[in-house]
Amino acid sequence: MLRKRIIFSLIYSDGYFMQSRNFRLQKVGNLNWLEKNYRFQSIAFALDELIVLNASKTEKNITEFAKTVSDLVNDVFIPIAAGGGIRTLEDAELLFNSGADKIVLNSLLFQDPNMVMKIIENYGSQSVVASVDCKLNLGSYEIFINNGTKKLDYDIQKYLIYLEELGVGEIYLNSIDRDGTGFGYDFDLIKIVEDITKLPLIIAGGAGNENHLAKGLQINKVSAVATANLFNFIGNSIPNARDYLLDNGLNLSNRVFDTLDLI
Amino acid sequence: MKIVIVEYGMGNIRSIVSTLQYLGVQDVVLSSDFEILNSADKIILPGVGSFGKAITQIRHRNIDNYLNEIVLENKKPILGICLGMQLLGNSSTEDGNNKGLGYINGYVVKFDNSLVKVPHVGFNQVKVNNKLKLYNGFNDIPTDFYFTHSFRMKSDVEINQCYCNYQEDFVASFERDNIAGVQFHPELSQTNGLKLLKNFIDKF
Repeated sequence: MLRKRIIFSLIYSDGYFMQSRNFRLQKVGNLNWLEKNYRFQSIAFALDELIVLNASKTEKNITEFAKTVSDLVNDVFIPIAAGGGIRTLEDAELLFNSGADKIVLNSLLFQDPNMVMKIIENYGSQSVVASVDCKLNLGSYEIFINNGTKKLDYDIQKYLIYLEELGVGEIYLNSIDRDGTGFGYDFDLIKIVEDITKLPLIIAGGAGNENHLAKGLQINKVSAVATANLFNFIGNSIPNARDYLLDNGLNLSNRVFDTLDLI
Repeated sequence: MKIVIVEYGMGNIRSIVSTLQYLGVQDVVLSSDFEILNSADKIILPGVGSFGKAITQIRHRNIDNYLNEIVLENKKPILGICLGMQLLGNSSTEDGNNKGLGYINGYVVKFDNSLVKVPHVGFNQVKVNNKLKLYNGFNDIPTDFYFTHSFRMKSDVEINQCYCNYQEDFVASFERDNIAGVQFHPELSQTNGLKLLKNFIDKF
């Protein structure tokens, strides 16, 4: 049976990892800080995937970002998806060569579909995650690009079909309203999206505790639950959440071996 | 221990390298040179991307002839990972009809996207057989490994295959003498994958 996934999303900006709340960023610490406070390697053993997003709002320094990605690769034995600021095939190539298994695209999906198709042609659908940032406005969901600053004149249904036709491999659905709040996922939004897309669906934005993760994982068409909440998931809370979810019969992968037996 | 990863311009090898180093392999080399490949204790054939492009690159660099000698004649252990495993088979329908290296009787065809979500992404269970070298020390229960692929291998003959189920059974791994392949990514499969790679290092 295909398992569902727990994903941690690290938000990166100019050398630091950030806590994001409604897409406003707060500096938390650099990679050393992450290693020191999160014992990142051991926490990563409780994850299924890592997403690293470059959210720098100034000129995005993709070379420096790529270096951070390659440092992270040494620490974890799970897939890493990296994105933020990818505009060209060379940007994508740099991240893949730095050890990213997938890339995450957002603004480019709308701004340069030909480039997206070129990337897909070179690296395959399974390597491209389409990030979709949504916000509720007067009862309907709007889609934003450019770190949540530019609204698209697309309704969500049409946009998801457009993405599927582009050939992306997965949808990373983020709620700007819930982002960083810890109030739980936007299940109304998820309900709309799961009825439209046939692609594997990753939900993000709002998870604050293991019950939120559980509720997300229980949705049939949700393939993965993501959290970017550095504050709520500090210390052992990710490993504990995984144990809790497994104990509650959720469909997550099991690890048979202990790291210490292997080296 | 020297492991050479076949370099043919495709595939994300960073995580394979760091995983092998984590497992204590002193010498991890990336090469397409005959002498270097032939000096390896073990060879890994990686691969991400499309089959047609990959086999073209391999032939272009003469790697197919090198591997014929090193793997078939000199019997050096080789592990194909993901696309690398598919390349060890007879053929694939990705990018038209392409012949593989033909070391293993398997053919590669696309998942039917009217039946399942394609690509097949995520951890899925492999019905492991712990009498095989790859799964030495595993329990004989379905074990999770990380997959990401749109094409899968089928085989009508015995290649010591272990299956994964995604609407239907497909070949998740095989091993025959010195030749082994895994459709999943052991380097991305947490401790389950680390253990399998350790078996390739220690038992082949």
